[in-house]
Amino acid sequence: MRQTLHIFKKDVRHLWFEIAVAITVVAAFTFTGARRALWLVDPVTNRTAAWTMVLILLPLAWWTLIARVIHDEALTGDRQFWITRPYSWKSLLGAKALFILAFINLPMLIADVVILRAYGLRPLGAELPGLLWSQVLLAIVFVLPIAALSTLTAGFVQLTFAILTPCVIALVVAIVAPEVVLGGFWGGTDWVRTYCLFLAISVAAPAILFWQYSTRRTAAGRVLAVAAAILAVLGMTLIPWSAAFKIQSWLSKQKVEQPVARVDFDSRSKWLTRAVIEGDRVRVELPLNVTALPTGMSAKPEGFSIQLQAPDGTMWHTDQVLPGYASNMGQEFSLQVTVDGAFYRKVKDEPTRVRGSLYLTVFGNRGTTLVPFGDRSVPVPRIGVCAASRGANRQSYFLICSSAFRFPPLLVSYSFIQSAKETSQYAWTSPQPRSISYSPFPAEPGISPISQDFTLATMREAFSEGRVDAVEALAHIRRSFEIDNLRLGDFEVRPALVSP
Amino acid sequence: MTDILRTTNLTKRFRKTMALDHLNMIVLEHSVYGLVGPNGAGKTTTIKILMNAWQPTEGMAEVFGRDSRRLSPRDFTQIGYVSENQRMPGWMTVEYFMEYLKAFYPDWDVARARELLRQFELPPDRKIRHLSHGMRMKAALASSLAYRPRLIVLDEPFTGLDALVRDELIEGVLECAEGATILISSHDLSEVESFASHIGYLDHGHLQFSEEMTSLVDRFREIEVTLADPLQSPISWPAAWLNTEQSTAVVRFVDTQFDQERTIAEVHRLFGNAHQISVNPMPLRAIFVTLAKAGRKAA
Repeated sequence: MRQTLHIFKKDVRHLWFEIAVAITVVAAFTFTGARRALWLVDPVTNRTAAWTMVLILLPLAWWTLIARVIHDEALTGDRQFWITRPYSWKSLLGAKALFILAFINLPMLIADVVILRAYGLRPLGAELPGLLWSQVLLAIVFVLPIAALSTLTAGFVQLTFAILTPCVIALVVAIVAPEVVLGGFWGGTDWVRTYCLFLAISVAAPAILFWQYSTRRTAAGRVLAVAAAILAVLGMTLIPWSAAFKIQSWLSKQKVEQPVARVDFDSRSKWLTRAVIEGDRVRVELPLNVTALPTGMSAKPEGFSIQLQAPDGTMWHTDQVLPGYASNMGQEFSLQVTVDGAFYRKVKDEPTRVRGSLYLTVFGNRGTTLVPFGDRSVPVPRIGVCAASRGANRQSYFLICSSAFRFPPLLVSYSFIQSAKETSQYAWTSPQPRSISYSPFPAEPGISPISQDFTLATMREAFSEGRVDAVEALAHIRRSFEIDNLRLGDFEVRPALVSP
Repeated sequence: MTDILRTTNLTKRFRKTMALDHLNMIVLEHSVYGLVGPNGAGKTTTIKILMNAWQPTEGMAEVFGRDSRRLSPRDFTQIGYVSENQRMPGWMTVEYFMEYLKAFYPDWDVARARELLRQFELPPDRKIRHLSHGMRMKAALASSLAYRPRLIVLDEPFTGLDALVRDELIEGVLECAEGATILISSHDLSEVESFASHIGYLDHGHLQFSEEMTSLVDRFREIEVTLADPLQSPISWPAAWLNTEQSTAVVRFVDTQFDQERTIAEVHRLFGNAHQISVNPMPLRAIFVTLAKAGRKAA
């Protein structure tokens, strides 16, 4: 420990300027972030440009600090004076970790506390798990990868090259084949893929750090880093969405057993079935019904798998994640499947068997909070704090909710009401709730500790307060359905007939 | 005497280049071992492996009887290492550098450190990056002598230094290294011949010989034989004779295993009509030139 402190003191003495810059940027982040809490009252405080700049500068300051402190006792090469001195690798690693904790994590922890308090949130109360988890994410996203790369490089130029190379590769691949990099957006379960990456970083980066500090065998360390990067990319690319949904189901807050929530072909609305020819492919639309949900619960389709089987046994199969905008709440749902044209032409006049599964998120536990217009935010259970205001002309209305570290897994709708009449004359400004993550973790990766959602309405009616309705994601379930003897050709339509 | 450094079949390959080829070398305690050889002979590679800066491809290097790959911080408290191309913390002042290192060595002698700074005329408040090469080497050496290391390893310490600074460094090392074992590498024999007690000659990764300086000088002789009659038939030269030259009446060679009686007898056997035999001791430089030219194992 004595040696750890001794090296730490040396690093502080050497890197005082970099430390001062990093602390200054954190101070600017704290000040700007806390002032933004007031912007509903005083729009001047919403310095978006300054905030954006701080959010860009902060990681740059951290990365510089991490790289400088690790390169001060560079681990690559054989000419450094310290490698033939009685340094204990554990003390050296400890000193570097202490430095990062002292000048990156601790200031950021304090900054988060100050900003959350400015918003009226309770960082040391209800938000404590998020506060701590955000520190873990800070380490995984911003500290560990750069620290590991710094141990594998001799200086800043090499490090920059090591950071930019994979970025350039990812950019090129994203342009050429975006599906390889992104694999489509998985909506609320997308966090599973993100955490695959985090898991890879959490295992590989400390392994590289320990390896490098204990052995200084850089070639092997670099191989380990490349292998970890490839595995992380493969993991993120190859993990099927259905597996992510399975994980999500396993983490469900509430178990929803059969026969609760059924999915059936809506035979009464069979006429809504369509097979729309789109070039070589065919978009098949199937009306489905989600029934048998307990009172107060609703279901949102997240994705599906479907299998079409011709009488001769030939099959066609697909899994698809539903984009957020295609999802809706309610009992009736039109499933849209893009079917291979060749298969469609083969089976369209045959009685086809359709077997599928619909992946649903069940929402419940509705909660409503009224938010009076005014300067002050009001606490909203499960969300954080919300504030409502109206413009000077009394025709524009604004409602904003702020949460700590992440927006909770809630579907939130905002409205403005006339409380005297107690009617629900509300103004939706967004037809769909925001995209939410079902991640079970209390924080999401990012620098700002505040996650916000808002709505803006311009209405002639005079409203007296805002209202926030939230339903909670309770369970993630899979329900199967079957349709027998469906002759798709009977429902065929040409695009020209659909939209002349 | 026990051995402080030992390499056993030490081999280091860099891709297709064989830097060290089954090197077997021993450095005895309290000796001053000069490891000499031309540039690229493998001297620095040997030292880097001994100091655990590089890993051997094969074989083993031991320091204080311990595998060099397992040298602990405790072992390094007994080693002073100075290299010509060592990267020093340029931002530190000389004084802070010494102060910083002090905490790593339980046997750091503050008075001695101060004395070394004075002796080497090092400006305490000057940053290392503002020192000349010679001054930097002095600072490195001062910081490696202040804790009375048991082993001092100097890798080409005099490269690029003028004669005055070189002498100051040698003087400093010898004054402060009472009882210590010194391993010093150099491509220039004259740098080490004045104070080395043992010498090893490394060439192309092979240790051509390794022995005590006195015995080395004793066993090499330049011999000139004046013949009474010209030689009639080709001579089968003994393996220990190098740089053989012959004219009609004179034969010259270097005997690498000189022994007065045996050599004279051998001369008489080969050249029965020897008129005069002149035996001359060789300076170390001449011995090395002979070996380098011969390019073969003499020991």
